[in-house]
This record gives sequence, C-alpha cells and structure tokens, in this order.
Amino acid sequence: MILLEVHNRIIEELLTVQIETFLRKEKLVEVKTDVVDFDGAMYHVTSSRDKPFIVSIKLKFYRDLEQYGTDDVLRREYGDLLVTPLEGYNVTLSLDFNTQLPKGDTNEVWLPLVRKIAMLKRNCFAAVFEKYFEFQSKQETKTETHKRAVIHYRDDETMYVDASSDRVIVIFSTVFKDPDDNIIGRVFMEEFKERRRQFQQAPQVIVSYRTPPEELKDMPDARTGDNIGYLTFVLFPRHTKVAERDNTINLIHTLRNYFHYHIKCCKAYLHAHMRHKTNEFLKRLQLARPEVKKSFRRIGNNAGDAPAATE
Amino acid sequence: MTGRLPACVIDNGTGYTKLGYAGNNEPHFIIPSAIAVRERPGGSRIGQCGEDLDFFIGDEAFNAKGYSVKYPIRHGIVEDWDLMEKYWEHCLFKYLRCDPEDHHFLLTEPPLNTPENREYTAEIMFELFNVPGLYIALQATLALYASWIASDVKNMLTGLVVDSGDGVTHVVPVADGYLIGSSIKHVPISGRDITYFVQTLLREREPNIPPEQSLETAKTIKERYCYVCPDIAKEFAKFDEDPRKNYLQYTGINAVTKKPFNVDIGHERFLGPEIFFHPEFANPEFNTSLSKLIDDIIQDCPVDVRRKLYGNIVLSGGSTMFKGFDKRLKRDVQRLVDGRLRESEELSKHKPEPIDVKVVAHAMQRYAVWFGGSLAASTPNFYEVCHTRKEYEEKGPSICRYNAVFNLV
Amino acid sequence: MTQAVAARASAHQPYLDAVRATLQASFCIENFESQVVERHNKPEVEVKTSKQLLLNPVVISRNQNEQILIEGSINSVRISVAVKQADDLEKILCKRLMRFMMQRADDFYILRRKPVNGYDISFLVTNFHAENMYKHRLVDFIIYFLEEIDKEISKMKLDVSSRARMCADEFFKKFN
Repeated sequence: MILLEVHNRIIEELLTVQIETFLRKEKLVEVKTDVVDFDGAMYHVTSSRDKPFIVSIKLKFYRDLEQYGTDDVLRREYGDLLVTPLEGYNVTLSLDFNTQLPKGDTNEVWLPLVRKIAMLKRNCFAAVFEKYFEFQSKQETKTETHKRAVIHYRDDETMYVDASSDRVIVIFSTVFKDPDDNIIGRVFMEEFKERRRQFQQAPQVIVSYRTPPEELKDMPDARTGDNIGYLTFVLFPRHTKVAERDNTINLIHTLRNYFHYHIKCCKAYLHAHMRHKTNEFLKRLQLARPEVKKSFRRIGNNAGDAPAATE
Repeated sequence: MTGRLPACVIDNGTGYTKLGYAGNNEPHFIIPSAIAVRERPGGSRIGQCGEDLDFFIGDEAFNAKGYSVKYPIRHGIVEDWDLMEKYWEHCLFKYLRCDPEDHHFLLTEPPLNTPENREYTAEIMFELFNVPGLYIALQATLALYASWIASDVKNMLTGLVVDSGDGVTHVVPVADGYLIGSSIKHVPISGRDITYFVQTLLREREPNIPPEQSLETAKTIKERYCYVCPDIAKEFAKFDEDPRKNYLQYTGINAVTKKPFNVDIGHERFLGPEIFFHPEFANPEFNTSLSKLIDDIIQDCPVDVRRKLYGNIVLSGGSTMFKGFDKRLKRDVQRLVDGRLRESEELSKHKPEPIDVKVVAHAMQRYAVWFGGSLAASTPNFYEVCHTRKEYEEKGPSICRYNAVFNLV
Repeated sequence: MTQAVAARASAHQPYLDAVRATLQASFCIENFESQVVERHNKPEVEVKTSKQLLLNPVVISRNQNEQILIEGSINSVRISVAVKQADDLEKILCKRLMRFMMQRADDFYILRRKPVNGYDISFLVTNFHAENMYKHRLVDFIIYFLEEIDKEISKMKLDVSSRARMCADEFFKKFN
C-alpha cells in the first residue's frame, strides 16, 4: 500500500456485512460501536434489526469546516440519508435497508453507496476545497467576498486554503513530535520539492521549515518552531476543474497522514535493514568462536591448520 | 480523560489477529495473522526501496496472486520480526486508520513470552510508530477480566484460564493477575485438530464432498453443528435409536461446478469436540483428557490458590465455544475432585470441606482476550500503568519487560 | 561506483592496518584477579583500580570524526569507535544502528551496552573472551566492523532519500 485509502475500512466492512445479512433475509446483528479515523475523527455506528443503520461523525474542527458550506456538499452527496445530527456529533447519516437501499440483483448496485458512506470524513473535508475551487473558477477573488480558510485539523497542525484568480493555494503545517522524524521528514519534504519538476502535471510545491511561508505573513497564529514544516501546494485550474476535483481533494487531504505514514514505513525499512546487518555482524563474530567439537576434529585431522595458528 | 482518543487494542494470535479500538464490545477486525510478501530471488529479505510496501495482510493475503503467504507468529510467539513490523504497519494505517502518535496501545502476549520479545515489541512500537504509551498484557489475565461480565464475583484475578484458539491450547493458572509459570500446560489439541478430525470422519463416509473443499466443509460443519455431549456411549445409542432425528443435512456448493452437494452429518457432531476429552481419538501420543489435565495443573499449584482456581475456571478462545463444553468440563473436573476428596476421607476418617468447581462461560468467549483488553484499556488505571514514551526515551526498551497488573475498578 | 568504493577502501587501508596492528598487540591479555576484592575478577580497564595494571590508551584517528580508542590493561581491552557522521541524518542513522546493536549486546559477547563517552560504540574484550575465541578472528571482526559500518550508514542514507523520492513520485503521479 503506497497511497492511503480514502474511505474508512471499518465502516465499509460493517455496512457491507449488515447489508449482505439483510439481503439474505437473515437476522441482523446488533451493532453499536465507536470508531476512530485519522485526524481524530470519531464515528459512532449503530444498527439493529428494526432500526436503520446510523453513522455519526464527530470532528474537532467541524466548526471550521462548517463556515465553508459543508452542508451543501453533504446534502449533494448523501441527499435524504442526512438526518439531524446525534447529540455530540456533527453529521449523522441514516440508511434504512428496507426503503433506501438501491434495488438490484448484484451487489454492484449498493457497493457504491457503501463506499460513499465510508467516505464521510473525506466529504466533510471536501467542502472547503470545493468552495475555494469554485471561487477560483468563478474568479470571485476579491477579498471582500471571502477570506482565507483556516482549518485547525489537528491540535497543533493547521491547514490554510486561499484562492486567487488563477490558482488555489493550500498550505499545511505539520509537526514532527519526534526529533528523528523531524530530520527524516525534512529529507522527505526536500524530495517533494525536487521531484515535482519531473511531473509537469502536478501542482507546484513550496517547502518551508520553522517559519510559515510568505503567504501566511499576516497570520499571527501560524506557529513557528524547529519541528514545524510548511508544505504549500499551488493548484492551477487543471487541478481544480470539475473533472479533476475529486482526485485532487483525495490526494491533498490525505497528504499529512501520507507523509507521516511513509516516514514510519521508512523507519521500519531501516529497522529491517539493521536487523539484517546485525545478524551479519553476529555471523562474522561467530567465526571467532570455535565450536568445541568441530575444532577438536579439525586439529586432529590436519594439525598445523588455521586454529593452531591462534596460539 | 476527555479529549483523549481511545486506545488501540491488538491481540496477535497464532491463527487470527483481533484488532479494534478500546471501549467496544467486539473487535473491528478478526483477520488471519498471515502476510503475503513477494518472494525474492536468492531469498534475500531486504528488497529495493519501495518493495517493502508491496504486501498484504489478513484475508487479502490469501487472495493475492504471485505472493507467498507467511505466518510471522508461531505458537503464539512472534518469530519473524521483519514481517511482524509490516503486519503492524497495515494494522494501523490500513485497517484501524489511526496515527499511532495519537493513541495508547495495548498489545497481548502469550504465557511464557520472553522478556526479549517484549523489548523488541517496545522497540518497534516506540521507535518506529512513536506511540505515546504501550502496555503489554498477558492474554490469560485479559481473559479473566473478560469473564467478569458473566461471573458474579467481580475483581477476581485468580483463576484458571483455558484458552483454546485455532492453533494452540493453553491451560494457564493465574494468581492475583500473575501467572504461575511452573504449572502452565500446553495441550496439543486445538481448533485445527478438531477440523482435521471431522475431515477424516467425513472423508470415510461422504463421497460427495469435492476433495479440495473438504477442509473448508469440515470447518463449517465444526463451527455450525458440533457440540459436546455428556456421555459418548449414550450419545451413540441415541443416534442409533433415531437416526432421522439426529442426522443433519449440510448443503455446500462446489466451487468449480457451482452445483450443490449434500453431506449427512452424524456422529462427528459430538465426536469432533470430544477429542478434548479423549485426545487419543486424534493423537495417539497424547491421552490425557483436558479435565484430567486441569486437575493435575491445579494440584501442581501452591496450595493456597487451589480452591480459588477450582472455583474460577475461565474459558476463552473460539474452540471453547461448543455447546455443552462448559458443563462437561465442570462435571468431569468435579468428578475428579470429589473422587480425591472421598479417598482422603476414607484414609483420614475426617470429612474435608467440599470443593466447588465452577466453569465460567460467557458471550464474549470467542474473543475474550481482546474484549478483556478493550475493557482494560478504557479504564483510567490503564493510562497509569502504561509505559510512556518519556520513560522509554529515558530508560530504553527494558521498561517493557515488566508490566504491572492492574485492577479495573 | 565499484571503482569509487575500491579507491575509498584503499584510502582506508593504512588506518585499518594501524588499527589491526594495535589490536594484535593489545590482545596480549591474561587472567588477573582483583587486587581489591577477594575472589573477584574484573576487567581492569573498566574498574581502573590500579594504574600499574593499565596501559597507555592509544587513539588512532583518520580525521576528526573517525577515530578509534584502544585502551589496554592486564586482563582486558576496551575498544571504542567514533563513526563518521557528516550531517543530522547520518547522525540519527548512526545513533539508531548503534542503539539497535547495543540492545542486543548479549548476543555479541564483546559488545559494551553503553559506549564510552565521546564515542559511538565500544567493545570490551576480556581475557575470558580471548581464551574462548580465536584472537585473530576477533581482530578480523573489529576490522570488518569498521569497514562495514561506514558503508552501512551511507547505504541507509541513500535508502532514506530514495524512499522519499519514491514517496513524492507516487504522490505526484496521481495528479492528472
């Protein structure tokens, strides 16, 4: 797995099992569970025999997102699945298998719906991006109509989105809690900057450490510090046009976790390497240890050979 | 505790790995502890950069073409750390989808795990995944926690855990949360053996089963229809008296021709699980029944815990799920105990206080260890006994050699 | 590439030769019981109870970063290695590799659990080791270790950047 998946596996699996059981006309199992996703997203899932399947999501930064019209996007995506949010949660979807399941013989008719529900978190995020993509394509870039979006997507990490007439700028700040990660992370960020040149179709990337990039000059709350990195993506119309939007959003909004995932995998790879090397050293060292039986025989067979030379 | 994300609980077993977030009643995933990696020419383990990300775990491992399937865990103990590392990578990032920096972790270990293995685990968890806290719990202790939902005595950390999974069965005496290491026994009969045994019985009689599906069929039959009977001789008589009532039909579908085939299920319904009590049916080298073994183990334990152990025999693992298993076990052990007491009474002419044998069965038995972990990791005490990252950086992996037992309440 | 390595290896050679000669000389160790505590037998180079039992330590250095300290005594030799670390990344890689090995010091017999101050990794060879193992092979091992360790760290460094490159490439590839 190189890119992280966009949907939530737990939700997808739970829902698939329930629907399959339902279609087999068997008794549904009682489900009541709490699930976590990246960036501290919490889901609460319930399902039982006579009640619909209900998924609620809680995002700490939902208030940030809400300002940018998450409602519109969610309404478009989920339509009448959307119900009044459960207390303590931000969005709730409810799926009644009896009435709201697409009819058909194969599971292909309902699998897309399952996937869509499993992408709830992604779609909450999508609102912000879509909004700004929209601003850009409609050339509504005067500062009066909108200002820069600031999403505190983790406790100490923030995402900024801004649009101008020809581009949308997305800036991520990320914190490397571990000093070693910080160093490896820097190598990764450097490569992101370098390799971008090979891919003309990809958005431009600007990297800055410690201090926020120029664009955030006016943001006093943008953090500075040794272990902070800023990644700026400059998205051009080719990325924000309607046909490409979904792909761009999928990629951009998982970037932070993609980054941290790969730093960890990289360390795992190094670890495997070290294990290998250590074994090699051990094997070498074993050469210095005579096996009592073996060396005895060897000396017996051809005296004056290597072992004798040790003395 | 507000604002803290739930801990991740991962129970890596020989056959299956159970993983999920603490606080839930069921693990989110129960996947085979298998990993499919690309076989490299020359057998070298370290591939080119990026090749190490090319692997699958769990059920996906069996569907992957061109990969070879490996099991990093043998007899409950991690054998291949390279593969285990990767296995965890996917557990965290693909299945649980969590940033390990945000969650505390509760992992489990089998009885008699080595302290070195705990260190290796800590090394991986803290250095690679940067977890903020780690606790390695004994599977047997977790099974005891889990049994509290069914037993009327709460907070009992003394008990005999019979943990039988797919690959291994352990009988583990635990006193005050610590295991009595000298008395642990390993039984060479587990879920897989029952499946094989059912398979041989079916093979002799049922020609309809396609050979390549016989294992799978045997497994399904085992899971759906097998039970433990009080007495095999009587059960045989009962079956012979009225075969029509007791024989069941199972319809499977041939994977190749897609045509259904019928199988009659008869004696194997009770004979399968019977190998726990008559192991010689399946394994000629081993003939101590589970109940005798339990009795022996308890007799082996320090005298002050024996009575408590008899009174709290806890079942855990999928292979203890057979209907009637708990009753049979209780009866057999009770018989052995009563027999001994009678003997002692005859010899000493003094009536000893009777011993009550209790076998605790409960609804969470199948993944009792995971459930116990989930209970444990959602209490505030858990965060107190967890080894923290700060501690690790100060003292190194050796901190995880010892994991304090803690009480849930 | 291979040529470059060969050239480097030969540049390395005088350093390694000097280390080998010093090690061979310092491995003349014998059993020596503690003068302070009865029936104790401790590596004198560690306990340093008496000056008479210690030899002058030898530092062989290739440059400021790469050096080896060989401390001899009557019954033990302590060998400490400082590995070349050009930048932060090499530093953490070196630190991690050394820590990984020291974590497994038990298997290594002669590896010290902690390095001597100022060095990255230390070995302690006592007369018991010298009696149970071939001395010349122990020397071989240390030389092999010195040869490999630099190679290993630069290889790991390359791995990190090629991993980062792959990670970036895969990400950008997905944009249309």
